[in-house]
Amino acid sequence: MPFTDIAVALQISFTYFTILYLTGLGGLFSERSGIVNIGLEGLMIIGTVTGAFGVRFFTDTMNLGTPWGPILGLLFGALCGAIFASIHAVATITFRVDHIVSGVVINLVAVGLARFLSYAFFNGQATQSDPGGPHLARLDIPLLSSLPGGLDRAFQSLSPMVLVAAFMVVPVWYALNRLRWGLRLRSCGENPEATRSLGVSVPQYRYQGVLLSGAFAGLSGAFLAAEVIGNWREGQTLGLGFIALAALIISNWNPIRLMFFAWLFGFAVAIPLRLNDAPIISALPPQFIRMIPYIVTIVAIAGFVGRVRPPAAAGKAYEGGGGT
Amino acid sequence: MATDGLAPLVSAARSRPAWLEGLAGQLLALLASLGIALIAGSLLIIAYGESPIAVYSSILRYSVESADGIGYVLAIATPLIFSALAVAVCFKGGMFNIGVEGQYLVAMVTAAWAEIELGFLPGPILVVVVLIAAMLGGMIWAAIPGILKVKTGAHEVVTTIMLNGIAVSLLAWAINFPLKFSNAPPGQNVDLRTDQFPEGGLIGDIGHYFGATPGAHLSWLFFMAVGAAVVVWFLIRRTRLGYEARAVGSSPGSAKAGGVSIGSIQLRLFLISGALAGLVGMQQILADRGYLPQNYVVYLGFTGIAVAFLGQNNPIGIIFAAILWGILSRGEVALQIESEVPREFIIILQGILILTVVITYQIAKRRLAARQLQRAGAAGELEDSAGSDEDAGAQGPEITGREAFKGAGEGGV
Repeated sequence: MPFTDIAVALQISFTYFTILYLTGLGGLFSERSGIVNIGLEGLMIIGTVTGAFGVRFFTDTMNLGTPWGPILGLLFGALCGAIFASIHAVATITFRVDHIVSGVVINLVAVGLARFLSYAFFNGQATQSDPGGPHLARLDIPLLSSLPGGLDRAFQSLSPMVLVAAFMVVPVWYALNRLRWGLRLRSCGENPEATRSLGVSVPQYRYQGVLLSGAFAGLSGAFLAAEVIGNWREGQTLGLGFIALAALIISNWNPIRLMFFAWLFGFAVAIPLRLNDAPIISALPPQFIRMIPYIVTIVAIAGFVGRVRPPAAAGKAYEGGGGT
Repeated sequence: MATDGLAPLVSAARSRPAWLEGLAGQLLALLASLGIALIAGSLLIIAYGESPIAVYSSILRYSVESADGIGYVLAIATPLIFSALAVAVCFKGGMFNIGVEGQYLVAMVTAAWAEIELGFLPGPILVVVVLIAAMLGGMIWAAIPGILKVKTGAHEVVTTIMLNGIAVSLLAWAINFPLKFSNAPPGQNVDLRTDQFPEGGLIGDIGHYFGATPGAHLSWLFFMAVGAAVVVWFLIRRTRLGYEARAVGSSPGSAKAGGVSIGSIQLRLFLISGALAGLVGMQQILADRGYLPQNYVVYLGFTGIAVAFLGQNNPIGIIFAAILWGILSRGEVALQIESEVPREFIIILQGILILTVVITYQIAKRRLAARQLQRAGAAGELEDSAGSDEDAGAQGPEITGREAFKGAGEGGV
């Protein structure tokens, strides 16, 4: 089997890594602060439609051109994700609605809201926008993109967002492990009562966690629509938000391990797209390969391989000094 | 019954019985959220430059004022009743089955398999066999999270989310390989799907008895759904399993102390839930299409969760909630024909409705719990001052809130 196929599959896996890692980081901030967020898929959906619109709006309508148009467009997707996530925040933190209920509602509402926004954004087209939207200039990674034997293809013409996502691990890890803000955020998810007794406002940190989750998932969705596909299409998230949730769980809510699993699951998504003729794989229907991330996560959560341990207070309503 | 003994004690402080107060609170919360949703919707309609009254009345005209409209509404409600019942059954036991989505996909595969492999059976028998195959498919898919929860403690929310993802691929595989159509009309570009099911294996239209158009695809399944709601009501309210399930759902600790085997109850609830979930897709493939298509309707499981909340997990309430949802959904057609407001407005309206319902129910529940606790405090410590009563009130939501979250939210996702 030629190396080029593997290299191209790797290149695709980097794209899916970006989507899964950004969304997973979103879930990480929310759940580490104590708010379970199964609405990641819905937050991504809002990111796709607003990102696709934002990129076009800033590039063409505002005439900013590249790279500022796509950059502002992606940030617009992140902003809208955060705004949409505030529904989850208000419901779970202020009104103490069950986190799962609210997350399901977020996913449901997102589908309808995306159509509604699309109708308004794209001249009455409710399920897709015009293809071929503007995107950031593609990037060859120095050194790696001149590897021999066809492997160079893996590191050529990548979206700069791939690098942004990969290096995101540094500030995220630093913020969560070294900054007072991150330590407090995590303690809200582990033991809110003790955190409160130190004079820290638990709801305030949880709001920040949930809004950040919306921003990351929204950015991820915007990347998917604007940078990967080139336009908005209904249903283009294809359950990637849930795969990101799976990666988050199996990585034990740790940003460094999340990198590995986001890439691994991204590679699983990439295999049916490119490696169908490889030995072993050609014997399996592609649908079975798509099941891999989910099966791996079930096995992990059932405790057959190690144990995953969620933040202790995640999913529980915090009653002290929260409501309005 | 212990509760009967307690009842006079509690109602001594006030004349209204607790259940009536609960029902009134729920109805009030429902009306309030419906009102909020309609007002928010009105603002949107006004933003589009139309009259809210005209838009709302055209929605009603298209849904409940003609036999056709009613046929469409009930046909939309049919799968949602099954789906919401499946959610409610698990919820009574303090569990969250968000895997109805995956369970009905798997059930559509097993039902389609039965149609094609057992198509030689005479009509009525085939239908029964197919419905059983669907329920078994749903049960198998629901048994996995049930067993994993009981045996390993894996949280059912996580496992069912993952099983939903697997089910999507499983269905795609089924219609790509083993169940792929073989008798496609030549020269035509046919979407990926199964073969047409035998005529005798489909579920008959009942719309024509009421003068509704056959296009609505209102079938006997609607009555099956209503029957299922009655059965679920009976199961929860009148059987030992239902009683123990409610005990597990409201207080696992005391249920266990009372000798209830929590694991066995949870597993049985998941199996019942799966059987109900298995029937969700039948309206689509047995009454509407007559085959399993690639572009099947998705999100019926998630919508079922919304409908279950709208109906407050009460089987009879769920029937009405599903019909209300159907009226709104039918409104999409009304908007397309009679208004400049985009049809997507309906989905927004449904979204606002379910958001406000979830929040107002939560507020109503807490206020009720606080009041009941306060009253219990007043009955128990008559000689105490008003100050401690206020204390009890302030403490009230904290305790009840925790209990409420023990079931659904424990462990985190």
